[in-house]
Parts: sequence; C-alpha cells; structure tokens
Amino acid sequence: MKDKTPPLGRRDFMKAAIFSIGGLIGAAIGLPAIAYVIGPALTQATDAWIRLGAISKVEMGNPTLFKTTVQTQTGWIKTEEEVSAYVLTDNGQDFVVISNICTHLGCRVRWIADDGKYHCPCHNGVFAKDGTVVSGPPPRPLDRFQSKVTAGILYIKRG
Amino acid sequence: MLAKFADWMEERFSWRSVWEAIFLRKVPHVNWLYTLGSATLFVATIQAVTGILLTLYYVPTPDHAYDSVVYITTQLPAGWLIRGLHHWGASALIVLVVLHLLRVFFYGAYKYPREATWITGVLLFLVVIGFGFTGYLLPWDQKAYWATTVGTRIAGVAPLVGDWLLRIARGGTDLSAVTLARFFGTHVWVLPAALAALVGTHLYLVIRIGISALPERNEQR
Repeated sequence: MKDKTPPLGRRDFMKAAIFSIGGLIGAAIGLPAIAYVIGPALTQATDAWIRLGAISKVEMGNPTLFKTTVQTQTGWIKTEEEVSAYVLTDNGQDFVVISNICTHLGCRVRWIADDGKYHCPCHNGVFAKDGTVVSGPPPRPLDRFQSKVTAGILYIKRG
Repeated sequence: MLAKFADWMEERFSWRSVWEAIFLRKVPHVNWLYTLGSATLFVATIQAVTGILLTLYYVPTPDHAYDSVVYITTQLPAGWLIRGLHHWGASALIVLVVLHLLRVFFYGAYKYPREATWITGVLLFLVVIGFGFTGYLLPWDQKAYWATTVGTRIAGVAPLVGDWLLRIARGGTDLSAVTLARFFGTHVWVLPAALAALVGTHLYLVIRIGISALPERNEQR
C-alpha cells in the first residue's frame, strides 16, 4: 500500500517552522496584551462594611439622610467618594437603608416630609417611604443596602 | 473555503504579486550580518505594539506620569512584561540600528545605486535616537528628569542658536509639564509618523534594488 501523505519537503518544513515561530512570538505578546487590556475591568470592588453613623440620629418613622465618604482607588488615583443613604426605622431596632440614587437615570432623590415621598428632581420620579415607585419613569424601587448595627453604629455594604 | 476567499481577494487586490515580491525572493548567499536589518525591523515592531499598549494607561502630566507608570508595572496583569519589553526593546533597537549601520558602512553597501537606501537609513537612525531621547523622559522619575535636564543643556551649548534650541526643546526655560507633554507628543505622534514613512521607503528600496553582494578582496572591475 502506498503512503498517501506526500513527504514533507524542505520548503514546506521551512514554511511551517516560520509560521509556528511567528505564531509563538505573536502569542507571547498577544495573550499578555489581552490580560493587560482587560485587567482593570476584572477587579472587583471591595465589599467592606462602610460606617454610616450612629443609630441614635435616626428619626423614628422618618427617613433620615446619612452621608459618609469612602476612600476608593481607581487606577493610580485615590478619590474620596460620597455615599449617602436614607435610613428608615419603625421600632428603633430594625433598620432599612435605602439608596438615594434614582433607579431611572441616577439622579439623587430627596425626601420631602410634607407629602411623605421621595422626589427625583430630574424626571419627576416619585417613590413611597419604603422606596417603591409611586409615579414617574423609574423602572424599579429604590435600591437597598445590606446593613448591620454594631454597638450603636450603623454599617452598610454596597453591591 | 480559505482558498476561495484568497482567490476572491486576489481578483480584487492582486496581492499575490506583492506577496511574491516581498517574501518569495531568492535567498541570497550572504552571511548572518545581513539579518541585522530584519532584526531591527522586528524590534521596531515590538516597540510599536508595546508602545501602543502603554499609551492605554500612561498619562503624560507631571502629577500622573510616574504614578501611572508604577500602576502599569505593579498593578496591571502583564504590565511589567509590556513595559519591560518596551524598556529593553529600546536599548536593543539602538544597538541593532548601530550594528546594521556599521555592516552597511564597512561592506560599502551604501554605494551606487543604493544611496537613497543609505540616506533614509541614516534618517531612520536619527529618528531612533529621537525615540530614545524623548522616551527616556516619560517615566518622569529622577533619572528621567535629570537625564533630560542634561540632554537639553547639551543642545544649549551649541553656538549662537543654543539657547533657542534649549528653550524649544523644553518649551520654556525649565523642564516642566510643557516639556513632558511635547516629549510625549513627539514620541507617540511625530516620530512614529516619520518612522513609518522612512521604513516604508527604506524597505521599498531594499526590495526594489536588492541587497549588495559581499565585497571581495582585490575586487577588480
């Protein structure tokens, strides 16, 4: 029986060798380059507890705005980011922490005590005290933070 | 499938004749010193690729330059590799360019009809030196700062026009944000444009005219 595969000639061998070595060099730079480019996109935000403030400041039955600053590092730049949230309690023991970022397009909502609702200044989104949508364009209720109370201090977690 | 696509392309671009002219030339019977030009081109390509990658993160201002370089080197995956290749490639490129130039010079390969190849080559040598000089400042560390202080001061001692040259190089009397910005602009826009044009011409001439034969002892013609 005859061998059907033609013998590998000198020219074909050289061609294969050149393309293989070229491919190796390309991969040696190309693969790290992919990691290098997408690297920052893969880093997860650290989910540390953020100290929001003393629970004694929360008004019973009224959403109370808490503001705090968080140190974050983006790339090589350290920035202070302000985190604010409404804290709600009915019994002084169980706390609900509601984000003040409108779920429509990210403006900051404000609690208007007179009508007992959160109002968004951008597109008239209105939310009830517990964050559910009353009217306007917001697609879902206001986000809630995971929270815990330790020694009278309220902590929240983002994400 | 692939062959069909190649034929489709061939019909519209006639790329096979170009491919043949560039890559399917006869292998000349010369020595390894004749590979220095290709080696130079290879390293220059590495420099272009790694340089483009570095610009994705590097910021050419005094308040961010050093920090962004540190970020590239220590925080990014393979950042040390990309920057390392660019750093060592820069030195390698200078060495290879000089060796290539010496080979052409001592073999007399610059003579008729290759004068234009030689002249573009010498201009490329200057461009590469320019890359080295401008790139050295970009990390904005102590070494970079003082090397450029000295380097521009050297331009400053030229007779008559020295002071002007120094001020033009620095964009003022002192090294500043202006200096860093113009060195960066020169490094990533002006010199690459010059390099591309000159390499294109240089390679065209090499392929068009071919390489010179090895000089012989007691050549009589």
